[in-house]
Amino acid sequence: MSGRLVYASAKGPGVWVTDGPWLLANIEDGTGLLRHRGRFPAVQEVSASELATAAESVALRGRGGAGFPFATKLRAVAERHGPREVVVNVSEGEPASYKDAALALTRPHLILDGALLAALAVKAGRIHVVLPGEHQKVRAVMEKAIAERASDPVRWETRTATSRFVAGQAQAVLQLLTGKENLPVTAWEPEAFSGLFGRPTLLSNAETYANLAMAWHFGTAGFASVGLPDEPGTMLMTLAGESATPMVVEVPFGTPWERILGRAVLERPVLLGGFHGAWVPGGVLSGHVVSRVEAQELGFSLGAGIVLPLMQGACPLRETARIVRYLAEQSAQRCGPCMFGLPALAEAVSALARGRDTSKRVLQLTGQLPGRGACAHPDGTVRLVVSLMRNFHDEVTAHAEGHCTFSESHRPQAVTA
Amino acid sequence: MNSTRRLRVDWPNCEARGLCFELLPERIKLDEWGYPIITGDIPKELLADAQEAVRACPKLAIRLVKAPKAS
Repeated sequence: MSGRLVYASAKGPGVWVTDGPWLLANIEDGTGLLRHRGRFPAVQEVSASELATAAESVALRGRGGAGFPFATKLRAVAERHGPREVVVNVSEGEPASYKDAALALTRPHLILDGALLAALAVKAGRIHVVLPGEHQKVRAVMEKAIAERASDPVRWETRTATSRFVAGQAQAVLQLLTGKENLPVTAWEPEAFSGLFGRPTLLSNAETYANLAMAWHFGTAGFASVGLPDEPGTMLMTLAGESATPMVVEVPFGTPWERILGRAVLERPVLLGGFHGAWVPGGVLSGHVVSRVEAQELGFSLGAGIVLPLMQGACPLRETARIVRYLAEQSAQRCGPCMFGLPALAEAVSALARGRDTSKRVLQLTGQLPGRGACAHPDGTVRLVVSLMRNFHDEVTAHAEGHCTFSESHRPQAVTA
Repeated sequence: MNSTRRLRVDWPNCEARGLCFELLPERIKLDEWGYPIITGDIPKELLADAQEAVRACPKLAIRLVKAPKAS
């Protein structure tokens, strides 16, 4: 696949972005407002019901990973009284995800147009834009784009998230915006009812706002030109392969997985949805297309579009153990079950990879950790481990018998219990 | 009126003191680190005990909320 390196960083691997059919069309036009206004006229007024209808007609769902219907959220915020807040989340806590960075680097004004539409609809006087701490270039591009919009009928305010896994989570973002530590806290009510400063808050992901702008400007007919009849439009996906540089591609719903990963790679296990996602065994995606509905039927989720095929010769047990150790380190150390449970889980999964059958301990922990934290960090970590146990049961047995079918160099030490 | 209540823990504030478990073992057990595991919703007959468990928490880290309606 061809692409352009839109961001090369001395510290990180940068990111490759390919031109896309929808959000990422004409990215060679650059990021300036003048060019952008050539395709997207400025919007001064829109009602919440009009905008919700537009979002609904293209079946717009949140692109942060959870996939909540956007129109429902918008209406919930609009129906509440008093001052309301709008938050754009451009910070991707998940280190394997680069799609919001890629979108911000190529289409900053599309994100901002969507956020402006939302603010006009819910009559919010300002828009909070939360930028990623780990991508200086993304911050620079977004700040520059915001500086070009002095005539917008809202006040733009930016904040930079800390670069850690749980910092991008909704409640953590709201904490940051109130000047507190950028870490999750318990939400007693959804942020649409009581969010920033206790006000009804529309908090969505950058890609969601960009799609909202597209829905408003091009309507149902325009949206229907890409994707599936029931799932119009596209999804931004971060693909990581053998190369160290991740690639962001815009994939219309309905695209065969073969076209994205190639036949050979599809025969390998794929970690779908990133570190909080799930292992899909080799071959399962063959013959299928990118679709939320189809993914659900197959028993997994597209999440925020992170696609990590297992490298040639890598062991899924060792890979999972490495990720779970990382996730345990990323705990904010605030909630007991996460603070103590994730290191215990990491230890148990690492032991599996070393050739000790600790399945019982793993299942005990995965059974008791979910739902016991201010954020879904333990739940996401458990999801990954559960998918390992479900799909690689034979591999666990093989390791306990002293061999690994994926990696010749990996020799587990069989330990009889 | 639907009177089923649910216990919710404010996890960042919970410090595993374990009083809730002592007062409501019918619905709370403790994990190996002493943090509560809620085992079910609170029916009417346990409501008083549950309220006592909420009041007794030295960290004010457990609350009774309305259980979402079963769908």
